Amino acid sequence: MAPIVYYAFTLLFFFAAYSVLGWGLNLQFGEAGILNFAYIGFVAIGAYITGVTSSGPPPAGSGESYVLGASLPFPLGLLAGGVASCLLAVLVAFIAFRRLRSDYLAMVLISISLVMYDVINNYVPLFDGADGLNSVPMPLSGTFNLDANGFLIFFALLSVGIGAVMWLVMSRITRSPLGRTLRAIRDDPDVVSALGKNVFRYQLTAMLIGAFYAGIGGGLIVEFASSFNTSAWLPAETFIIFAALIIGGLGNNLGVMMGAFVVPVLFTQLPKFIPDIPGHPGLILNLEGAVIGLLLIVTMWFRPQGIIPERPRRPDRFLAAQAPPAPPGGIDADAAEGPPPAPAGATDAKTTG
Amino acid sequence: MSAAAMTTPTTTAAVLSGHDLHKAFGGNHAVNGADLAISEGSITALIGPNGAGKSTVVNLFSGLLPPDSGQVRLVGADVTGWPSHRIARRGLIRTFQLSRELQGLTVLENLLVTPIDQLGESLVNIFLRPGAVRRQERANVERATEVLHDYGLYHVRGNWARQLSGGQKRLLELARAVMARPKVLLLDEPMAGVNPALVDQIGEHILRLKTDGITVLMIEHNLGVVERICDHVIVMSEGRTLATGRMSELRGNSEVVRAYLGGVLDARLDS
Amino acid sequence: MHQFWLAVGFGLVTASVIAVAAVGLSLQFGITNYINFAYGDFMALGAYLTWELNAGAVHLNIWVAMIGGSLLVGVFAVIVNRVVLGPFARRFERVFYVLIVTFALSLIILSLINSIWGADVKRFNMSSETPLHIGPFLLTVDQLIVIGIGLALMVAIHLLLTVTRLGKSMRAMSDSTTLAMTSGIDTRLITTITWFLTGILAGLAGTVLGITSASITPSFGETFLFVIFAAVIVGGVGSVYGAILGAVMIGLVTEVSAVFINASYKLDTAFVVLILVLLFRPSGLFARVGRV
Repeated sequence: MAPIVYYAFTLLFFFAAYSVLGWGLNLQFGEAGILNFAYIGFVAIGAYITGVTSSGPPPAGSGESYVLGASLPFPLGLLAGGVASCLLAVLVAFIAFRRLRSDYLAMVLISISLVMYDVINNYVPLFDGADGLNSVPMPLSGTFNLDANGFLIFFALLSVGIGAVMWLVMSRITRSPLGRTLRAIRDDPDVVSALGKNVFRYQLTAMLIGAFYAGIGGGLIVEFASSFNTSAWLPAETFIIFAALIIGGLGNNLGVMMGAFVVPVLFTQLPKFIPDIPGHPGLILNLEGAVIGLLLIVTMWFRPQGIIPERPRRPDRFLAAQAPPAPPGGIDADAAEGPPPAPAGATDAKTTG
Repeated sequence: MSAAAMTTPTTTAAVLSGHDLHKAFGGNHAVNGADLAISEGSITALIGPNGAGKSTVVNLFSGLLPPDSGQVRLVGADVTGWPSHRIARRGLIRTFQLSRELQGLTVLENLLVTPIDQLGESLVNIFLRPGAVRRQERANVERATEVLHDYGLYHVRGNWARQLSGGQKRLLELARAVMARPKVLLLDEPMAGVNPALVDQIGEHILRLKTDGITVLMIEHNLGVVERICDHVIVMSEGRTLATGRMSELRGNSEVVRAYLGGVLDARLDS
Repeated sequence: MHQFWLAVGFGLVTASVIAVAAVGLSLQFGITNYINFAYGDFMALGAYLTWELNAGAVHLNIWVAMIGGSLLVGVFAVIVNRVVLGPFARRFERVFYVLIVTFALSLIILSLINSIWGADVKRFNMSSETPLHIGPFLLTVDQLIVIGIGLALMVAIHLLLTVTRLGKSMRAMSDSTTLAMTSGIDTRLITTITWFLTGILAGLAGTVLGITSASITPSFGETFLFVIFAAVIVGGVGSVYGAILGAVMIGLVTEVSAVFINASYKLDTAFVVLILVLLFRPSGLFARVGRV
């Protein structure tokens, strides 16, 4: 088949994988309001653990060294990655969460990400340092007798399937009372606490589920690419996923998919088609980060709700058919009203700057 | 304290009480040995000049802040130092002086958040008992709808809470607290910034809470309202309880009048 | 034991670098009430601008170039606040908007540095010297100058905050912006000056970091950021004096740790200290030292 077909399926795979990653971060940040600036670390742990539980021991003569080295069959390695990411989430939540307000927490989280990067990069016996894992086998390719190209198409479609299932699960969660309580915590944790709910327990839940998605996404990436090293997860990658969420639309799963399409797919691929400026090789690719950053700032200013905004939910839709009961002498709150409310988004702010 | 104004309910009948409470912020002793007792089923007002420590006492009662020393008792238990969610679970719900509506939720959702331990908040139930979750949600929606009707907010139930006007937000704050089925309700200036017509209506709502068996403690500056709806008044000044009793008794208490910088108390009573 | 004292000497150098950076971060945080996640990139920008003045287009002495580079970063910081950060901070009440903007700025600055100067390692144009024996320490003249810069800046900042009207206005603002405004303080001017100062301090910090690391790369400021965060949190967020003490502690711990563990991980020990403080004294070790 023509190379363009393989290219298209590669994009399809990344669209699915980044959607999964996006749903995970959306639950933590878009729904629960946790500024998880270490998100890429969770993705990386998922990728590495999936890799070292599927590859078997380091191949002789390859110079690679890493821990574990089990040879679990396909979905188990992936699940191991998800679980490993959850364990990291537990650790992080118990150390950092109850004691810090959200921006200090973001400082600690980004520090976690930077230190993880530093340690994994330097401590070779762990995950082979900067060289990373290179011999991750293509899952199920033996069963179906696929070559590299066939595997690419197969795994892209498999990932779309996995993504669809994970979407259904996430939809159920965000539409449930749990999702609603998380959104309430996002808005005002003190109020939720004053209503009798243990805020930390809910934040931990959001972290765990989000981490699982991060781990699965990372696992899918390592199994697709058959390799994974530190250049794939510079801490700035967390930012790419945040950008995808905010541009696509926070707080809703469809917005995540839009973001996954626009940022990691469209935006990182477009520059490849722009011809290089003569005399400055590589400039366009270097500026990619700057462009994404600028796009994000512009989006946040002119359309902070993103391309697909969060819509008000109607849990009382089932009542629509019934006539509303007559108000028992209830007051008309509008009758004694003051000036109209301020438009959404332009709330009173601090007086700095 | 003036002996003439002592009509404190006995502590054994008090559903909420604070004993010798202290709370300092840096050098500022906001609460400096305060004793308060609120008897069950009453509507009690907490009044006093600015800086008397009223809001801090409410924060100590609701667990938002721990006291430096002293004891808080709620429904027969020592709840000193308990985190706010534990105190809320024991039956004490509070509102805030500046309306804190949950902005990213609709008005209806603001009420639906309140019930504790909803089945649908647990992952296991969401996936393994969807029917039970759905049934409980419907029941909650029906109850929330009634409360919204009661407070005249039904027609804005689908709006984002941040789109409400100031008065509507005050009502939502109260409606949400009521939805939580409290035993004790702490209201932090429920009439603040609200125009006169709404003041009367909020007052009616609070009176109705009493018939539902809810004990109310409210910080309030509008002494006309206090006289109309409260059966008991606690006056605080400089971090301590200055006097307690009925509003009519306190009017004649010279210490209380002086605490309000003399004259202001009389002016307010004419409103 | 000899090793230990040598390490303490290096620790003082590292502490000076961290202190300059941490004070810059704390001053700005105290006034604006949000963390600048692009701070590491401001540092890197300072280092690269200094490099340009020292070994690139111009060939100035390193210390002169450092002053020039830092002033440029100060100007840059003022512009960034005027054009981007200030408007976002004023418009959105929830802090995460402006935090994400600083995160975006981080990426933008990194990309710009990469594009303009390239990703290869660069070094400053400085004469390499033999270290001197100063008591139990073994330090080069440049390292001593770095310590001197650190000390001088700490004294200068202290005087600024306690003696000058500007400093008192800054302290008033960090306690309560609205109160400061009603006292007639021009909060916008103070904020602009604060950003100028934080830019200069970031530029200085980035340059001395490059000097003590003997090389600079585009992301070297970013990757150092967690050490600064550790110092600020250990010292107690919001307190400039806490930040200084936190910097000294982290600086000493990281260098002394190199005596016992593989030196590649010495910066990571800062993270261990951070975790320990979070577990046992989350408000910081020196939080009572005083605001601003």
